[in-house]
Amino acid sequence: MADNKTERLINLTMALLATRRFLSKDEIFERVAGYTGKRDAVERMFERDKDDLRALGIIIQVKPQDIFFEDEVGYRILEDDYELNIGELTPSELSYLSLAAKIWRNQLFAQSGDLALQKLEALGGTALREDFGHGTLSLENETPLFPSLWEAITNLRNISFTYRSRSVSQRRLSPYGLTLWKGSWYLVGLDLDKKEIRVFKVSRITSDIKFESKANSFEVPEGFRIQDHLLMLAPEPTTRFVARVRVGTCQSLRSQGVVTGVDGEWDRIEISLGNNWLEQLLWFGSDVVLEEPREKVAELIQVLRSKL
Amino acid sequence: MNENALDRVSRALNLIPFILNNQGLSIQQLAQRFNSTPAQISKDLSLLHMCGLPGYTHLELLNIDFEDPEHVAVNDPQVLDQPRSLTQVEALTLVLGLQLLAELSTQESERSAIVALKERISNQLGEEISARITIADGVNESPLAKTITDAITESRYLTVQYNSATSDTITTRKILPLEITYLEGSGYIHAYQMDANELRTFRLDRIWKLEAGGSDPDFKASLTQERSLEGALEVELEMGPDGLFFIEKHNEIVTSSREVGDRFFISIKVGSNEWITRTLLAWHSKISVISPPELVQSLHNRTSNTLANYQ
Repeated sequence: MADNKTERLINLTMALLATRRFLSKDEIFERVAGYTGKRDAVERMFERDKDDLRALGIIIQVKPQDIFFEDEVGYRILEDDYELNIGELTPSELSYLSLAAKIWRNQLFAQSGDLALQKLEALGGTALREDFGHGTLSLENETPLFPSLWEAITNLRNISFTYRSRSVSQRRLSPYGLTLWKGSWYLVGLDLDKKEIRVFKVSRITSDIKFESKANSFEVPEGFRIQDHLLMLAPEPTTRFVARVRVGTCQSLRSQGVVTGVDGEWDRIEISLGNNWLEQLLWFGSDVVLEEPREKVAELIQVLRSKL
Repeated sequence: MNENALDRVSRALNLIPFILNNQGLSIQQLAQRFNSTPAQISKDLSLLHMCGLPGYTHLELLNIDFEDPEHVAVNDPQVLDQPRSLTQVEALTLVLGLQLLAELSTQESERSAIVALKERISNQLGEEISARITIADGVNESPLAKTITDAITESRYLTVQYNSATSDTITTRKILPLEITYLEGSGYIHAYQMDANELRTFRLDRIWKLEAGGSDPDFKASLTQERSLEGALEVELEMGPDGLFFIEKHNEIVTSSREVGDRFFISIKVGSNEWITRTLLAWHSKISVISPPELVQSLHNRTSNTLANYQ
């Protein structure tokens, strides 16, 4: 059964690819191997086969019926649509592509990357890559939700999920896009309850993705650019700090600031730090004594006192 | 394994041009490349052998020679001589991957080669999709990544000058790098440290100097990547929602977690006392330690000592 279907789909692909003019259904049923049986059963079979080939990404051109000339609907596959068309690849280009395909940890991209490589390695002029092993580089944290999110985003389906930020809540969303930032995926879309575009960190979604509508249920606003909605990309403000650091300690602070000697025990450092200044300084415990700015010194003392 | 007919069609259509451009591979090699079994590939080839163009005489059929399983060849691919075009998700996977590589690459010539390649692949992609699934930057570049990647590929040792945050020291170590990973934007090398006889993790931006040494593929092959948690310290922590970042960042050491209201109680296993003490001192205002009592005590002492600097 499965063998028959596989064989028929391959034969159909080849026949539609080989023809220059459109083939009518009658011609297809007559010539392509595998279309045997009652007419309406064969028709249904053909409809499913077309959907299947399209699901594989194969573009089938359809010539609409012309009522004046009593032409039949016709089908064909254009070589230009079917074939990979990126020119020849050099061995170094193939190795970049191979690396680009293998850095993904989410299952959808990992699998797609491998399928893409199978095609690229079938191009004339490329040599079979030697390593079949796993990659040496990965840039992304794992997320099992990726395939559902991809489905929702590309097919414009509304979704709902449980999200944990300050508190845990149910969210309903028209998902517009996804972006990878610092190794984590962020989902951007119209929050259907808050009526605003919001950003969600995918790793903080604690449920499965539930589809709330069929395909094409919303439109992405014209000119939508995902980067316009990412507050985290705004440059972080920095403050100038002056501190004493014990001689021979605070190596990572020293590499970021300007150090001058004080005495046998202490050096002085001038350094610019961002929002995480408190954590960066506290890491070194009593090996750092903050001197300026005064209000940050007061804040630091207060944090320490609160824990005693 | 239950495979659907579509996956099989897809593989079969990819097999013909692949063999055509890589003639003479064994069925075993093909199975490996197509993540399948030799038995399945043999079945695929038998099936393809009966497919072809209308007419279906030996002139129109695909002609594949696989009598010798060590040596598979396509003699006549008919219309299937070229690989299929990339699907949208395949093209996007490559485009985003190349973008990350371009960001990481440090040589201008390499970067521009990768960017040009990315443009070529982008042509396969609908504009609409590429505006909606993106990379928002934020990978910390390391000028050393290229040397390290090369060392991994060639199984070479590296001599690194490393600034350990935990011990606040700079030391020289000989390591065999195994893998680079990026977590929340920071790069890490997983490597075997020769003098300590142990697998360890190093943060890329804490490597201050690096020198490539000799190669030893046999030693690399003998390594298993299991990291032992022997002698690890079990620590219990409490935090509010603003401490959640800690769980996200250190997910791999979390052994259990429970939620009570908006408080989180987690257990972690850590290899280093010094590391957890410094971490908890740094994130004082967001994370509290419940046990073990020795850690509570040492954190208390360190807090007092630090405070003493200001009195």
